Amino acid sequence: MDSWQYLLVLGACVAVTLPLEFVGGARVYRRPKALLATLVPVLACFAGWDLIAVHHGEWWFSARYTLGLRLAGLPIEEWLFFGVVPVCALLTYEVLGRGMDSLKSRAGKRSRS
Amino acid sequence: MIGAYTISAICAPAAVLAVELTVLRTGILRRGRFWAAMAITLAFQIPVDGWLTKLSAPIVRYRPSAVSGVRWPWDIPVEDFGFAFALITLTLVLWERTRLAATAGYE
Repeated sequence: MDSWQYLLVLGACVAVTLPLEFVGGARVYRRPKALLATLVPVLACFAGWDLIAVHHGEWWFSARYTLGLRLAGLPIEEWLFFGVVPVCALLTYEVLGRGMDSLKSRAGKRSRS
Repeated sequence: MIGAYTISAICAPAAVLAVELTVLRTGILRRGRFWAAMAITLAFQIPVDGWLTKLSAPIVRYRPSAVSGVRWPWDIPVEDFGFAFALITLTLVLWERTRLAATAGYE
């Protein structure tokens, strides 16, 4: 079970934030084009940084707590990290936007009535 | 000697802010919603990153000479917060940029 730890941490991040899309009204997963246009440059910058740092031995990943699948020297979990964490931030940002819109429209209705 | 990760964790947020202020110019930094999302995401970073970096069973380990050695809260290297700030800022700026470009396209 130990080798699943990193993947389970990422899974928990997805599970905790998923309701923001389907209950909170954030539209992130449902805008795949915008999401891709955001994630590709983010991935290029930050996975690039990660690859260089790992190459220089600034940090490294436990063999015990990762599945052992690697892509260009990074565990597969680390690649997923660059999808999961930005999506969590976007869902938070979008849900806050929804909240502010509904507050505004409620305030608008009140001022009109 | 300042560690390589310490230097990059300071430079990366500055670089992302510079890109927003000079190139992308979405204006997102003036919005409370951006800072609120940042505060919430960084707060959630603590349990997640805390689990990844805990010294008793670390998933990620750092070369001592690459970091400052300041680990707080729990065992999180403070540099991780610079990394996260840059990552989240770039994400939200690009998302906002994409939205603005789409809106402009409809006009």
